[in-house]
Amino acid sequence: MQIRDYLIRRLMVLPILLIGVSIIVFTLTRIGGSPIGIYLSHEMTPEEVEQLEERYGLNEPLPVQYLAWAGGVLSGDLGWSGVAVAPVTAVFGDKLTATMELATAAGIVAVTLGITLGTFAGSRRDRLPDHLTRVFSVSGSSMPDFWFAILLLIVFWVYLGWFPIGRSDPAIWASIAHPTGLYTVDSLMAGSWQALRDAIWHLILPAMTLGLATTAIITRMMRSSLVEELNEDYVDAARAKGLPERLVLKRHARRNALIPTVTVIGLSFGFLLQGTVVVEILYQWPGMGRWLADAVLRGDQATIMAYVLFTSVLFLTVNLAVDIIYAYLDRRVVLGS
Amino acid sequence: MTATAFADTTSGRSGVGLVASVQDLSIHFQTKTGMLHAVDEVSFDIRDGETLGLVGETGCGKSVTARAFMRLVATPPGVYAGGRIDFWSSETRAAGGGPVNLLTIPEDEMLGIRGNRIAMIFQDPGKALNPALSIGDQLAEVFYQHRSDELLDPLGPGTPAVVRRAARQEATRVEKILLKVPPLRSQANRVKAAVDDRVAAALADTQIPNPGKIMDRYPHELSAGMKQRVLIAQALACDPDLLIADEPTTALDVTVQARILELIAELLDRHDTSVLYISHDLALVRGMCDRVAVMYAGRIVEIGLTEEVFSDPLHPYTRGLMNAVPSSAHRRGALTAIIGSVPELIDPEPSCRFNTRCPYAAGVCRRLDPRFLRHTLEHGVVCHAHDDPAALAARPDEMPSFARVDDAR
Repeated sequence: MQIRDYLIRRLMVLPILLIGVSIIVFTLTRIGGSPIGIYLSHEMTPEEVEQLEERYGLNEPLPVQYLAWAGGVLSGDLGWSGVAVAPVTAVFGDKLTATMELATAAGIVAVTLGITLGTFAGSRRDRLPDHLTRVFSVSGSSMPDFWFAILLLIVFWVYLGWFPIGRSDPAIWASIAHPTGLYTVDSLMAGSWQALRDAIWHLILPAMTLGLATTAIITRMMRSSLVEELNEDYVDAARAKGLPERLVLKRHARRNALIPTVTVIGLSFGFLLQGTVVVEILYQWPGMGRWLADAVLRGDQATIMAYVLFTSVLFLTVNLAVDIIYAYLDRRVVLGS
Repeated sequence: MTATAFADTTSGRSGVGLVASVQDLSIHFQTKTGMLHAVDEVSFDIRDGETLGLVGETGCGKSVTARAFMRLVATPPGVYAGGRIDFWSSETRAAGGGPVNLLTIPEDEMLGIRGNRIAMIFQDPGKALNPALSIGDQLAEVFYQHRSDELLDPLGPGTPAVVRRAARQEATRVEKILLKVPPLRSQANRVKAAVDDRVAAALADTQIPNPGKIMDRYPHELSAGMKQRVLIAQALACDPDLLIADEPTTALDVTVQARILELIAELLDRHDTSVLYISHDLALVRGMCDRVAVMYAGRIVEIGLTEEVFSDPLHPYTRGLMNAVPSSAHRRGALTAIIGSVPELIDPEPSCRFNTRCPYAAGVCRRLDPRFLRHTLEHGVVCHAHDDPAALAARPDEMPSFARVDDAR
């Protein structure tokens, strides 16, 4: 009951946050350059430039320009992508699903591995598993992702040839339908093991690269908060009740240790999205990260705005989910506000 | 056995009339500079139905001693360096069995004793409850852990294994989901209802108003006094043979303290539980306890019936403690603090631990461990002042004397 009320309250704030985000996105992009920059060339006459400015409404005051853009967004028009040479909405779906599949795979790996490793290390404080985990998390979070990606590529793609790059094998890709655009889901729907294997095989290296730093951060956080919780009196009180260590750890200490860890998980999701840029370029992954990199380099404002707006929405949604999990784990949150 | 080791033989060795017997218990802690002797060859008995007070200042080892009963001293850094704690559980006694040594029995046997035959009330009720679980869930754990057979009894012999495993808190995540859907749900709900009844009864036992409502509450929604009632209910849930109360009222407001103490006294009377009552509050111990053991720097220095110890304190430390407590007998300004502070307990040399602070300390106190001396049948002390110089092979001028120092003042 209380959690439902909390959820409704949080959902009501969401539209306000979205309007705020869209204003910031618009203003920052306009400060960064002119939307017609990508179309200008030295051969153009001043009249032609003026015509372009007229067409893009650049003579209007900024708030009017914002309203025109926001109206377009609401009616499903995100503008023309000069990089893709197509409307943003036409390319967006494919790029998005590619990135989502990669980020989700990396996220699932990071969360499960991070919590498991962190619990494992935290409950064996100052023993060998703890030290090994520390080595992993320090090196994992300090290793630059582009370097780790190149390392994996050299070993597993160039020398061993175990894993491919790109997103799929063209022949296998063509053999099944793609209703969702998530290749693993598509292949499951088509019931094709060959396609599933191909999709997963292409995912492994980029997902590992993308998830490494996040795994390391989650592991570290989980480990230290578990160590802290295990020193609390209620843990000894649980032991004094006669509970086996398994339950003391799972039901009592770990549950409380997850509270700060969940916050970190929510924040590191932004990290994950940011990481897709480098990972997608190096692994030839046809997602939003690569598209954004091209758009930024060439001043394709419609694409940049669409990307930033969308990732902000995603980030807000993920953090809403995190807050809900948080409230579930720690009831004080619900009643405190 | 060294000179300090003493047996509390005042109650006999046969085990009749005893619930627990601590013998030469030593618990050390590994530190960077050496072994810290937190508990050093401590011996005492807890008799059936009695309340034994364990008094001493912070850091004297009384809480560590208490935790040893539950085997909850963290190892490492703790080391069970010697001795034993014999425990006569009512269950084994009913079956004609003898005592078990709590320090050596296997962990699964220990799990059956913790929270069931020996229970503990913690010092700070605000910290001893898990903030993320409801009161009802936390109390239910005790019943699931120790009374699952009784919970399952009404369901009959045909109860599915999954339901049985859930009642013993052994169900896996998948099994828990299975229990939420028919046909298992109704049986799981019957177990849950049986637990809820017991939880409500346990809470009602500690005079908590509206137990049904409190069960759904979370710890932060309750007052400190309420939380301590919950913890008392939790400790007495399985009718333990021995209750360890580790300063149960220290963290509470004075007004709440009085009510909680009344409640504890009333409940102990009804449940007929033996108690190890740990406190630094002499007045409180005097009111609550049948016998008192005074602990200093990891050792018991004096033990006896409460009246005897209070009317005729034998150890200079006990005397010092009593002079440091205000009472109507004291003139204004006549309170005396014990000078100095507790000595370092890392790799101690043989000596009386109190010699650095003792107004009567003499040569022998600095080079010999004092031994246990019986003063009366029930009253014993560990102090050279009461010993015979001949037995210690010491010169008379090396011996401490209360009279000599007190007269000189």
